[in-house]
Amino acid sequence: MPILRRFLALGLLLPALAQAETFVFTAIPDEDESRLQERFGKVADYLGEQLGVEVQYIPVKSYAAAITAFRNNQVQLAWFGGLSGVQARRLVPGSEALAQGYEDQFFKTYFIAHQSAGVDASDTLSDALRGKTFTFGSKGSTSGRLMPEFYLRERFQAAPEDIFSRVGFSGDHSRTIAQVQSGAYQIGAVNFSVWESELEQGKVDPQKVSVIWTTPTYPDYQWTIRGDVDERFGEGFKDQVRQSLLEMKDPDLLASFPRQSFVPASNDDYGPIEDTARAIGLLDE
Amino acid sequence: MIAGSLILSGRGSSARILNGVCLLLILAALLALMGADIEVYRVDPWQELSRIGRGLVQPAWHDLPGLAQALGQTIAFALLAVALAAPLGLLLAMAFRWLPVRLLCAAVRSVHELFWGLIFMQLYGLGATTGLLAILVPFTGVFAKVFAEIFEQQAAEPSRTLPPGTGGLKRHLYTLIPQSWPALVSYTRYRFECALRSSAILGFIGLPTLGFHLETAFRQGQYPEAGALLWAFLLLIAGIRLWLRPRLVPLYLLAACWLLPETVGFSNGGYLWRFISQDIWPAALLEGDWAALQAWYGDMFSEQVWPGLVQTLLLTQIALVLTGFVILLIYPFASRALAGPVLRWPGRFVLLVLRSTPEMVLAYVFLLLFGPSGLPAVLALALHNGGLIAFLVANGSDAEFKSPIRRPDDPTGLKRYAYIETPRRFPALLALLFYRWEVILRESAIMGILGIATLGFYIDSAFEEIRYDRAFLLILVTALLNMVVDSLSRRLRRLARTDRACRY
Amino acid sequence: MSDGKRGPALFSLSAQSLSYGRTRVLDSISLSIRRGERVALLGPSGAGKSTLLNLLYGQQAASTALQPQGGGIVDLLSVYQNIFIGALDRVGNLPALWNLLRPLPSHRRDITELTRRLGLEEQLWQSADRLSGGQRQRVAIGRALYRRQPIFLGDEPVSSVDPLQADALLKHLLAEHETAVVSLHNRQQALDHFDRILVLREGRICCDCAAAELSAAALDQFYQQDGTPEAGEPAPESDGWVIRTS
Repeated sequence: MPILRRFLALGLLLPALAQAETFVFTAIPDEDESRLQERFGKVADYLGEQLGVEVQYIPVKSYAAAITAFRNNQVQLAWFGGLSGVQARRLVPGSEALAQGYEDQFFKTYFIAHQSAGVDASDTLSDALRGKTFTFGSKGSTSGRLMPEFYLRERFQAAPEDIFSRVGFSGDHSRTIAQVQSGAYQIGAVNFSVWESELEQGKVDPQKVSVIWTTPTYPDYQWTIRGDVDERFGEGFKDQVRQSLLEMKDPDLLASFPRQSFVPASNDDYGPIEDTARAIGLLDE
Repeated sequence: MIAGSLILSGRGSSARILNGVCLLLILAALLALMGADIEVYRVDPWQELSRIGRGLVQPAWHDLPGLAQALGQTIAFALLAVALAAPLGLLLAMAFRWLPVRLLCAAVRSVHELFWGLIFMQLYGLGATTGLLAILVPFTGVFAKVFAEIFEQQAAEPSRTLPPGTGGLKRHLYTLIPQSWPALVSYTRYRFECALRSSAILGFIGLPTLGFHLETAFRQGQYPEAGALLWAFLLLIAGIRLWLRPRLVPLYLLAACWLLPETVGFSNGGYLWRFISQDIWPAALLEGDWAALQAWYGDMFSEQVWPGLVQTLLLTQIALVLTGFVILLIYPFASRALAGPVLRWPGRFVLLVLRSTPEMVLAYVFLLLFGPSGLPAVLALALHNGGLIAFLVANGSDAEFKSPIRRPDDPTGLKRYAYIETPRRFPALLALLFYRWEVILRESAIMGILGIATLGFYIDSAFEEIRYDRAFLLILVTALLNMVVDSLSRRLRRLARTDRACRY
Repeated sequence: MSDGKRGPALFSLSAQSLSYGRTRVLDSISLSIRRGERVALLGPSGAGKSTLLNLLYGQQAASTALQPQGGGIVDLLSVYQNIFIGALDRVGNLPALWNLLRPLPSHRRDITELTRRLGLEEQLWQSADRLSGGQRQRVAIGRALYRRQPIFLGDEPVSSVDPLQADALLKHLLAEHETAVVSLHNRQQALDHFDRILVLREGRICCDCAAAELSAAALDQFYQQDGTPEAGEPAPESDGWVIRTS
């Protein structure tokens, strides 16, 4: 009864009716967020067929929104970044990392620089970075914020604000590239897979912007599921979801993430991320 | 308050008081300029800017159903929120004499719609309820305040003929509301346009309105898509008078209920309680660890609250004064008396673009041009708000165009601008500027991309890091700052006697 | 009706002064008005008549029907609603709210009757902003009458209607109220309908006598400018400017 539900939403403080068991998931891809509903609608259809329940996708705008929805049981499954997955699992005891992208086992971040900054590629973060302008990606991103900040602090023993003359948050990997390419910021930190796909598409001018350093690898994006799904959707549901994800082979579906395939993952794989987040003060305790 | 005593000494001429107020504001802005974070970097923006330009000239209209849906939901949220907020605001305005009511209204309107959205998202998830409340709550506060001010400006005579002891409700029903009805309706109509903007902007945090797609497209450099969305929004705003017919409003309201996004099911039993009893308080407080609590507050104040406060105030002050100059510069191009009946249309179009383009988009363009600093923020705020106020000022001038106050022997051109229009418009202009002061303050908060750590930057970070305790404290500080600025601007407005001039 | 002098004092002022800023509007006024008196207030504009009426209103607000200058008409309401305002103290909040949507039958009957007497029955459902000045004034009189109070205080209540109508309206107002204090600019009306006449000038009472003792010519003298005491000058000339044909 969609009309009824809409009117109930107007009753403001009324919570939405607890619907007949619909399994809801969300995902924020690390590049190309256009037509989310259409692309991930197909993923929902696939999961629905595999799981035999109604599956719905809801688009969200930020990792924080995804975490909130996951915490409040508005979604039961989410494609999180490394850091957001850790945050979500801390808030929802019993939740579990199910699978990660093949590429996410050895993810990395590129530091890129505008040619006018005069910083050359090297094996370490160069001292020439000091005093430059610098932009992260989104504040909650693992590859655009957490890991680059960690390596900056490790190398310079200082907070980013004290290393650079200005630190911005572009909000997105594509925009980080655009901003460094236009010289608005001299240095940026960007997700390697976004950089490579933009390079391939010819959006990057190698005369103007280039990679100056690559971080060591770390685990990133993963599927995380709430612990109480078996109670709600029946015994063995969680394993069924894991299986369906690992067996997703249709390149059209995988291109939405974009990943070449999904491989098993566990909460422990993300221990290093959690430690890093704690080390730079993004997590308490 | 210091301002007050200074100006009062030069009493007598209204013009002198106005000049004094302006001079003070400008001086404060000059002082702020010294402390603010403004710097120009050498940049190479032309490749990106030309892509933006191409996107605007050749918008991609390929996803028309998606666009229509986003437009529909933008309108639905705005319409329903205003339809609920205006009567609620009217009720509160009747009780505005009560201090608790005034404080409540000041508190709810001092928090930006985006932040309300983020708060309600914790409670109601991404659904219609969140979107509606995010507009409804602050707008109710604004309606209450402005409606109460409109009531204050009504002639006292009809009230005097009421039987003594007639209660507040009857007094409002039979005198104040009918007396001020045209003003109430016209303000509500104007506010609807604001609600459309707010509704669109709420897409930035995930509601399915225009902003959702605009932000994505813009952030990811899909400028033709962004161009199409921007043009669609411009047309929507430009055509309000054409499509929003009073008779059709009930029909629209029904359609709006139908268009609201379905709320995806989640039972929210304890979320509200968990949010207000735990999430928004620092862990140390909940554990009763006073030493840790003191340390927490100490850190917050020295690392976020204080620096954020300073940056916010400096940027706001500069943006405010710059907004004033922008208005004086561009309103004549949209006024019938100054630009002529035909030539004013290009001017009106520029004003439409300025007030309908989200500041974030303007800020991004200026970031590309000047590099990261307070400068893009100030320019974006000044142009956006300047465009909005200039539009209202030009409307004021046009409304006078056919009135008897106009004389056939009035001068024309620049002389008319300097001797007739500007002096007549100036009190209203100043009043509008004071009203926008609060708004500029709230908006200056959302400039994280520029690497300027305003209060809003820290609030955004706190939500991003799922640290609602920090977010709550920072929002509280922002709200208090807003209330101080609000009361200061009210004093200045009284002093400058611009109260009666205009109300927006 | 009754012999006014015997009633108890309804209003009394002793050496009352009032200033707005530096301007003295009333200057030590002493005055007593008894129940049953009909007092006309005369004097040039700016003499303090309205201020004095306000002062009196404050003393007997609960039993007074007030008609200020302009009448306090609410433009967007119909004639019916504008008159109904006079009865707001006799109905509760909810009936008052309901009456805006659908007129309450008993009030509808009474007010229709009232407008018939005021010559407004054609305009009963018209909004007040569509009325002429004279019609608006009659609406204001209607509201005062519908207050149904024993005292009437009017500030030039019939200034915008033609003299014949004005006489009839004044008569009606005085018949319906036991006590009345009315400011007027038409001296003849004051002499014809009132039993006591007060003349104010520059905030002072310069004449307070029974109407029977005064004549129009005598009253005219109070309107003469200080600097032009020439006897015999025709009254109209002092009132304003006159176009002379040489």
